[in-house]
Amino acid sequence: MPKRKLDPLPSAAFQILLSLAGEDLHGYGIMRQVAEQTEGRMRLGPGTLYSSIQTLLEAKLIEELDQREDAKPGHERRRYYRLTSAGRKLARSEAERLADLLRVARAKKLLRGEYV
Amino acid sequence: MSEKIYAWLLRLYPSRFRETYSDDALQLFRDRSRDEKGLVLSLRLWLDLFADLAVSVPREYFYAEPELVAASAQRPFNGTPLFYVLRDESLRPGALVLGSMLSLGALVTFSILLSQGSYHRPLSASSRQLQSAAYRSSSESGHPVRQAANDANFSARGEHETIASTSQQPTTAATAARPINATPRDSQSNVLLAPNNSLRPQSATPQPLDAATPIRTDTSPTQPDAAPVTAAAVRNANLDAAERQRVIDGAAANLKEHYIYPDIAQKMAEALLVHEKAGDYDGKTDGAAFAALLTSQLRNVSHDPHLDVVYSRVPLPEHPTGQTPEGLARYRKAMEQENCMFEKVEILPHNIGYLKLNFFGDTSVCLSTATAAMASLNHVDTIIFDLRDNRGGYPSMVMLITDYLFDHPEYMYNPRENTTERSWTRSPVQGNRLADKPVYVLTSARTFSGAEHFSYNLKMLKRGTLVGETTGGASDAGIFHRIDIHFGMSIRETKGINPYSQPDWAVTGVEPDVKVKAADALETAVKLAESRLVKK
Repeated sequence: MPKRKLDPLPSAAFQILLSLAGEDLHGYGIMRQVAEQTEGRMRLGPGTLYSSIQTLLEAKLIEELDQREDAKPGHERRRYYRLTSAGRKLARSEAERLADLLRVARAKKLLRGEYV
Repeated sequence: MSEKIYAWLLRLYPSRFRETYSDDALQLFRDRSRDEKGLVLSLRLWLDLFADLAVSVPREYFYAEPELVAASAQRPFNGTPLFYVLRDESLRPGALVLGSMLSLGALVTFSILLSQGSYHRPLSASSRQLQSAAYRSSSESGHPVRQAANDANFSARGEHETIASTSQQPTTAATAARPINATPRDSQSNVLLAPNNSLRPQSATPQPLDAATPIRTDTSPTQPDAAPVTAAAVRNANLDAAERQRVIDGAAANLKEHYIYPDIAQKMAEALLVHEKAGDYDGKTDGAAFAALLTSQLRNVSHDPHLDVVYSRVPLPEHPTGQTPEGLARYRKAMEQENCMFEKVEILPHNIGYLKLNFFGDTSVCLSTATAAMASLNHVDTIIFDLRDNRGGYPSMVMLITDYLFDHPEYMYNPRENTTERSWTRSPVQGNRLADKPVYVLTSARTFSGAEHFSYNLKMLKRGTLVGETTGGASDAGIFHRIDIHFGMSIRETKGINPYSQPDWAVTGVEPDVKVKAADALETAVKLAESRLVKK
């Protein structure tokens, strides 16, 4: 069986990890957060979003919360997700990898100082 | 509304994904459509959704397989076989409906293709290749006409098959039979020749170059004027109205001139006119089909199965030549080389005589061979005639062999001959001991003509037990008359009396007494003979 791969980390998965770095979110929250942090360039559709979530769950990079504490009665039940420590570690290493790339790009004068 | 559409679209995902996330996906859709109002935004929403579907549906299916790898890792090989169920859910009704519709469609398509197979170009193209191969092999043994036909571009498929099957016959039979073909209108020769046509048993409609057609322009190298048939002369089967008219008129004229019962001939001619006026022939452009139609119409009136209208793709010579001395010499030589087609003369265990005869050769050539063969079997207790590969031959040889099987003259019905003194066997034969011995005749669907003459009479006289398949049904009783370049007809002009007052074997063939596959006939006959001998 083909195994879902997280190496290299797909950008959708990385964005989801990043979006959960600040707070626990439900699906739509993640989608909005991702859109925000990419300035609207990445709008995760339901299929992509939930299949990425599934993959991340299987890899134990995120976890599903049993019950949101502030769930109100009558409110639609939503699944909330939280970054695990492994997820945080992976997100960090991915960010470092990108930072390394950035350094290289700078060294090769692809980017000028004013960016980042 | 749009939510319903999206819910429906979600069904595209694998069930595993839907079970877990369809509610969430729908929730997300609701959230987005609540937040993104207005034409542009909702348009963007749908654009996103479709792009998402296009990407994620295939990916989900790619990953949706159950975790076989993980499973086999959990259960390492321990000598017991492991079975994995790919999907433990029942099929969706939609899948069932779609599956049954697909298989129904495939079935219908297949049966349509099958029923129209003979008209299907690619199929005929492949059979053409086969034929070319057959022609090539036959041209090596010297068939100038066939070679010419090979070069031609055919379009009438009916005949190729006939010719192909003709040329695929064993060369021995063809060699021996060939010279006889060159006696077209000679009614005195009384040749009962097999059609060498394996298609015939399957088809009651007359094939071109039919069994009842003594003219075989495609197989008779002894007809010099038939030889230079060029590719151009072999033309398409497309009939025009003028040719149809010539054929109808010619058929009517021939019937009136040659048919033994003038009143029936008149009725048949009138029937043709009626059909013509009714427009039954309009648009009939396929020669073989047209000939078959005429044949069935004529038989409907006359109830005479010996009547045949024949289409020949190869042009029929206007003045067919008779037997040439060279042809006769060649025939004699071929027959002598082939031991007059007496393939096997053996005595099997339990003193059962076995004679495999593949052609009833002319007694003027084969008399000594035949008498020697019969003499060598004189002391057997049972005799088996194997006619499974016998395509016919001369009535004189049929009579010569039957002479041995009776101790008194016996009438042998032959539709080809008027009743004469030679319609009775010349029994008893001096010194012969076979007259009271049990006789078995092995038949196949390729047992034709003279061999049917032999089998039919032995069966009717209860002198022999027929074992095998129903015979080919070629009485060859008709005399061939050319009507037009591609058409002829055979008309029976004799009044041989059938004492069994029923149709003879024309078209229908002779039914065996013991019906078994031709391949099993010998074994069956031997068993029957042995059990009979033991009882004695």
